[in-house]
Amino acid sequence: MVARMKGKSVQASGICKRYKSFFGRSSTIMENISLDIDAGDIFGLLGPNGSGKTTLISIFSTLIYPEAGSLSILGMDARRNRNAIRKCINISTAKPNFPWSLTVKENLRHYGMLYGLHGSDLSRTVRDQIDAFELGEFQDHRFEDLSTGLKQRLSLAKAMLNHPSLIFLDEPTTGLDPDISIKTRQLIRRIHEEEGISVVLSTHYMPEAEMLCDRIAFLRQGRIVALDTPHNLKRHLALGERIAVSYQGEADLAVLEEQPGILGLKAEKGRVEIIVDRSEESLDGIIKLFAKAKITDIAIKEPDLEDVFIELAR
Amino acid sequence: MSWQGELNRYLASAYKNWIISRRNIFTVFELFFWPMVSLLSIGLLTRFLAVEGSMVSFLLVGAIALTILQVAQIDVAYVLLFDMWSKSIKNTFIAPIRSYHLVFGALLFGILRGCVVFFILVAVSGHLFGFNFLAGGIFPVLAFLAGIFAMAASIGITVCISILTFGQKADVAAWSLSGLILLVSGIYYPVDVLPPLLQALARAIPLTYFLEYYRSIFIPGPHHLAWGCALASFYLILGLILLDRAIERARRTGILLRLSE
Repeated sequence: MVARMKGKSVQASGICKRYKSFFGRSSTIMENISLDIDAGDIFGLLGPNGSGKTTLISIFSTLIYPEAGSLSILGMDARRNRNAIRKCINISTAKPNFPWSLTVKENLRHYGMLYGLHGSDLSRTVRDQIDAFELGEFQDHRFEDLSTGLKQRLSLAKAMLNHPSLIFLDEPTTGLDPDISIKTRQLIRRIHEEEGISVVLSTHYMPEAEMLCDRIAFLRQGRIVALDTPHNLKRHLALGERIAVSYQGEADLAVLEEQPGILGLKAEKGRVEIIVDRSEESLDGIIKLFAKAKITDIAIKEPDLEDVFIELAR
Repeated sequence: MSWQGELNRYLASAYKNWIISRRNIFTVFELFFWPMVSLLSIGLLTRFLAVEGSMVSFLLVGAIALTILQVAQIDVAYVLLFDMWSKSIKNTFIAPIRSYHLVFGALLFGILRGCVVFFILVAVSGHLFGFNFLAGGIFPVLAFLAGIFAMAASIGITVCISILTFGQKADVAAWSLSGLILLVSGIYYPVDVLPPLLQALARAIPLTYFLEYYRSIFIPGPHHLAWGCALASFYLILGLILLDRAIERARRTGILLRLSE
């Protein structure tokens, strides 16, 4: 594993993006986005469709420019050093698309040439990426004949051609079968660990963000509504663990609600779902309050990012 | 970056256009069918109308010039059109490249294809219509071809600017701009027959001067080759500057993203 880099891969402050229609009507897509991403991190952008994830990735990767705000990528000013930044970053787009009639190998050669690779260096890099992403069997297949999963792998391979310090992955597993999604996530994890590359990825798959990301920004309508580690996001939103108790008989739910560590409860006949800060600290006290009743079932569920997503997307 | 790396950035577009053309059956139409239709229809028309020798050369020079121009300009436009049609524009513009890398790489392949078409048309026009295109020697041919290729680059750049400014629907410019050139730059008739306004427009198009120069070999008369070269260079430089600006504008307006969707 490569040692983690120091510093910031992305420093954004007050980023705004507006689109103007042909008739001059303006719509705001991003508003006042400020965030820092540590070098060597996998940073997740989460949010429902249309929340601005792709736009933000496009701004960070210098594909499009913001109207306002300051942006530094890998310590370089994104206004003054665009070409220098582009040499050190790369992107794997959502719905990967490449010239249709070029084969896997030809596509990688073409994009390698755009990055100034030449001679044996170009051939070796293309071969390395084909091997790394297990594309050898398909290297002479045209892009138009590839499955969605293979297209995604080609896109990741292309994103590694220039040995970037920072890559942007826009919904890298959207539309993939579950087994291919798992494989793709493992590939991302491997790239990150073996090459020491900073990764900014957008997704609306919660398990993906939870599995991969060191920190997450949750976007809604072009704004960041939450930014933290997955663990802290769950805690700060009071999405504690859920203890579901099924019982017969009487239980004093009013007393239960006032117990320390209880964040909330939802009761229905013979069943109560209690949200607690930490189940191991509260469980004993909760069970005591059911002394007059007979507990028929008890289950503990940890919160996941799905809960965070639902809470924040409201 | 080494010079080989820099060279490869230019060659990347030529490489892509070459492979796509090689695998596209319609390349045959672009390289052989339409050029032959154009040449044969004009050549046969001269026979039907019993046009005398120097006028045959006037018309065939025009037909050959227009065909080479169309083939070369579409190759420059293809550099963006292929990316737009395959929705892969993001992948190109995330790379550290400038407009001139794209244009000159594509133009290189356009010149190659244009030369293939040129040699075919010269051979066919000599064989079927007894027209010796190379009668003036090698320098006039090189100057004539250089002028046409510079003009083709400017038209291709204009197509790219149109797409980056107005979006996908502007790809129609790839085929219609050369029609406008046909109308006003004296392909099949002297510009003197045009209305004054169109004559002024014709004088602003370098192709007018390159046609005038090459025809002067067969029908002696004045020409303004130097002015044509100056105009062609001016348009090429201006085109590259405007293309860079159009790319920057497309990044600001977000058209670059919409062209990928």
